[in-house]
Amino acid sequence: MSNPEDTLVLLLAGGVGSRLNVLVKTRAKPSVPFAGLYRIIDFSLSNVMNSGMKKIGVLTQYKPLSLMRHLATGEAWDFTGRSRGVKILPPSTGFRDSDWYKGTADAIRQNLSFIKANPSKEILILSGDHIYQMDLFAMVEFHRQKNADITVGMMIVPESQIHQFGAGITNDEGRIIEWEEKPKVARTNLASMGIYVFNTEYILNLLTEDKEMVDFGINLIPKAIAKDNVFAYPFEGYWRDVGTIQAYWEANMDLLKDDSEITPETWGIRPNPESEQLFADRIPARFAAGSKVNGSMISAGCVIEGEVINSVLSPGVKVGTGCRITDSIIMHDCVIEEGAAVDLAIMDKRVKVGKGAVVGTGVNKGVPNSKYPDHLYTGISLVGKEAEIPPETIIGRNCIINPWSKQEDFSTKVLLDGETI
Amino acid sequence: MKLKPKTLAMILAGGRVDDLGVLTFHRPKSAIPFGGFTRVIDFSLSNLMNSGLERVAILSQYRSYSLINHIGIGTAWDMIGRYRGISVLPPYQGYGNSQWYRGSSDAVYQNLDFVDYLNPEQLLILSGDHIYQMDYREIINYHREKDADLTMACLKVPMDEAHRFGVADIDDEDGELGGRVVRYSEKPGSPEFNWASMTVFCFKPKVLYEVLESNNREATSHEFGRDIIPRMMHENRRVFGYKFKGYWGYTGTIEEFRQANMDMLGVDPPINFVDWNIRTNLEHRNIRDCQPLKIGNNAQISDSLIYNGCIIEGEVERSILFPGTYVEKGAKVKDSVLFFKNAVGKGALLDRIISDVNTTFGSGVRIGEETKSGSKATTVIGWNNFIKTNTIIGSGCTVYPSLPPEKIPKQIEPGEVVR
Repeated sequence: MSNPEDTLVLLLAGGVGSRLNVLVKTRAKPSVPFAGLYRIIDFSLSNVMNSGMKKIGVLTQYKPLSLMRHLATGEAWDFTGRSRGVKILPPSTGFRDSDWYKGTADAIRQNLSFIKANPSKEILILSGDHIYQMDLFAMVEFHRQKNADITVGMMIVPESQIHQFGAGITNDEGRIIEWEEKPKVARTNLASMGIYVFNTEYILNLLTEDKEMVDFGINLIPKAIAKDNVFAYPFEGYWRDVGTIQAYWEANMDLLKDDSEITPETWGIRPNPESEQLFADRIPARFAAGSKVNGSMISAGCVIEGEVINSVLSPGVKVGTGCRITDSIIMHDCVIEEGAAVDLAIMDKRVKVGKGAVVGTGVNKGVPNSKYPDHLYTGISLVGKEAEIPPETIIGRNCIINPWSKQEDFSTKVLLDGETI
Repeated sequence: MKLKPKTLAMILAGGRVDDLGVLTFHRPKSAIPFGGFTRVIDFSLSNLMNSGLERVAILSQYRSYSLINHIGIGTAWDMIGRYRGISVLPPYQGYGNSQWYRGSSDAVYQNLDFVDYLNPEQLLILSGDHIYQMDYREIINYHREKDADLTMACLKVPMDEAHRFGVADIDDEDGELGGRVVRYSEKPGSPEFNWASMTVFCFKPKVLYEVLESNNREATSHEFGRDIIPRMMHENRRVFGYKFKGYWGYTGTIEEFRQANMDMLGVDPPINFVDWNIRTNLEHRNIRDCQPLKIGNNAQISDSLIYNGCIIEGEVERSILFPGTYVEKGAKVKDSVLFFKNAVGKGALLDRIISDVNTTFGSGVRIGEETKSGSKATTVIGWNNFIKTNTIIGSGCTVYPSLPPEKIPKQIEPGEVVR
C-alpha cells in the first residue's frame, strides 16, 4: 500500500533572502509575514500536513528565532503526537569544527543522522519560501510509480524568467535528459520549483560517496541525470517565489483580485496565531462610522477609521481618521495616525506613521533606491520594523526607512525618491 | 502548599433561558456566540483568568456538547497545569439517589465531593451567562475582610426593572464598596430596593455545605436565588453585598442580547477586549485558520465588527459578523448579528436580525419590515436554514432551526413564528 507516512520531509528554511531587504533584517525569509496573518513558511508546512506526511525536519541557519517561535511544537499544523513531529535542525559543529550549511545538498548531508534516525522510503525536500498549494503525496506516488531515484517538481514559466531557475529538458516519459542551472539562454520553459523526492537509500549513498556535492541544482542533478532515474513531476497552478520585493508585493496584490488564484483558507493553509504570544485574542476588525474600505484584506484586531483601498492589513493595524492607505502591505500593529497617507508601501510590524505624514508619493516611480537599485526600482517604499515616521514627513518612491529609525533620525521633512534612512 | 489554589470557581452553565428561543435550542446560553468571535462564557472564563483564579469547574446539563467543545482542555485560558484546570461536571448516575440537576444549587450539591476534595477556602459560584468585566479578587478580598458566609456581587438597576432580578437591600457599612445585605427578595412583584444580584457568589464552603444539606432535606426547589439566599437570610448568616459599578450585559431577552452585542460597536465600547484580555477558544470551529476578512471593490462597511474568514461585497452597517459569513454584491446587512457561516445573497436586505449559524439567505430576501404599529422588533432565524429567493419576512419573527426550505413561506408577517 502506498503511504505518505513512509516519506520523511526536510524543509530548507535557512536562506537569507537578502533581496527582501529590511523585511529580512530580523528574520529569515520563510518567516516573513504574508497575506495578512500568515508567514511564508505556512504554505509549505500546510502542504505537508494536508499531504499526510507526519515527520518533518526544518533546516535553519539564518536568524532562526522568529521561525522557531512560529513553529513552536508544530501543533498548528497537527505535527504533535507520538508518530508525528517537527524538528528544528540548526547547523552544528562537527568533526571539522566549522560547519555552516554550504548549500542545499550540504545541508542534507549534515543531517544524515536525523535521516537515519527516522527511517523512510523517500526524502521529500521542500523550500520554505514559496507561495503555492500542492498535493505532495501525488508527487511521491508519481516517484514510486516511475521507480525514480530522484523526482523534481517542475512547472512551466515564461522563457524570459527561466534564467532564475534550474531548467530541465524532458523526454516523452518525463525523464529529465538535460539540466542547466540558471541558464543565460533559454532552451526550455520547464523550471525547477526546488521540490525534490529522493529515494532515501539513494541519497544517503550519493551524499556519502561524493563529499564535494554541495548544491542540488548545481552539482547533484546534472550528475545524476547521466546515470540514474531522474524524473520531472509536472505541477500546474499558482506558485510564486516571493524572493524579491516586487514579487512579494505582487503576490500579496494577487490575493485581492475578485477571482484570486491564491485562497489560503480554501487551500487549507494554517497560520499560527498563538506564536504571537499575545495575552488577549485579536478581536474582530472594527470599522468606525465614516470609514471606507475597498478591495482589501483586513485581519482581526484592526481598527479602521479612515480609508483603505487595495491593501493587505495584518492583525492589529490602526488606521486613524482622514488617513488614506492605497496599494500597500501593512504588517502587525502598525499605527497610522490621523490624516496620514500611505501609497505603494510595505511596512513591517509596529511602524508608527505620525499625523499628516505621507509615505510614498510622486510620479517618479522609476527612480531606483540609491543604495539598493536592484531591490527597489518600481516605486515601492519600504519601512522597517518599529520605525517611527515623524508627523508631516513626506517620503517619496523607492525609499527605505530602516528598522527602529526614530523621529530624530529624520533630519529632513522630505525624503526624496530613492533615499534611505 | 503555596501553589494550591485557595479559591475554587464553579460556573453555572447549564441554563437554556426560554426567552432566547431558538438560539438555545441546541446549546446552553453560555455557549451562544457573542461579539463577532467569542461565546458568552468567555467573559466569565477570561474574568477568572485575569483574576488569577485558574481552578474551575463547569456545571453543565442542558445540551452541553457545544459548551464542552468550546472549553476543550482549557488551554485557551491557560487553565492547564498541576493546579490549574477546567473540569466539566455533568450530571451523573451513581449508587443511590442520583438524578438530573434539580436546580442551580442542586448542581453544586451533587458535586460536593469534588469541592471537598479540593478543599478551598472559598467557593466562587458564577453564572456563565453574562457579559461583564470583573476582577473577582476584589469581591474575594471583601468577603474575607468581612469574614462573610456569603458575599454576592450586586448592580444597581432601575427600580422598574428590579422585578426581573433577585434584589438586595445593602446597608452602607462600607460605603461605595459594599455592606451587609439586610433584605433580599427574589423577583419581587413590587420591589422596594434595587441592588440586583449578578449571580456572582462567594461562599464560605462550610456554611454552604450546611445550607445545601438542609435545603436538600427540607425543600423541593433548589435554586441559589430562590432558595439558598433566602434561607441564609432567614438563618441570619453573614450575607454581604459587593457593589459592582461596571458594565453588565444581562442578556435575558432577544432584544437585550442584540443590544449587548451592539454595545460593543463604536470606538470606545464599555468592555475593552484587548486591555482586559478577553480570550476565546480559537480551536472551536477552527476560527484560528480563517484567512483575513476580504472586502470587495464596491463594499461599504460602517460602524461594524467583522472577523476573519468573512467576504464582504455588499453593504454592512452597525452589525456584527462572525467568521465565514459572505455578503454578496448589492446585499445590505444592518443593525444585525450574523453568527458563523451565513450567506447573504445578491440584493438581500437584512434589517435588525439575529441569524444563527449556517443559514443562507437567497437573493432578494427582505427581512425586517416594520410592524403596522411602526415599531421594529428583532427577527431571529434558527440555524441551518435556507431562506428562498425573494422571501419577505417581517420584524419580530422567529424561524425555527433546520426547517425544510419548503416549510418556510414566501411571506412571513411581522411577529409570526415559523416552526
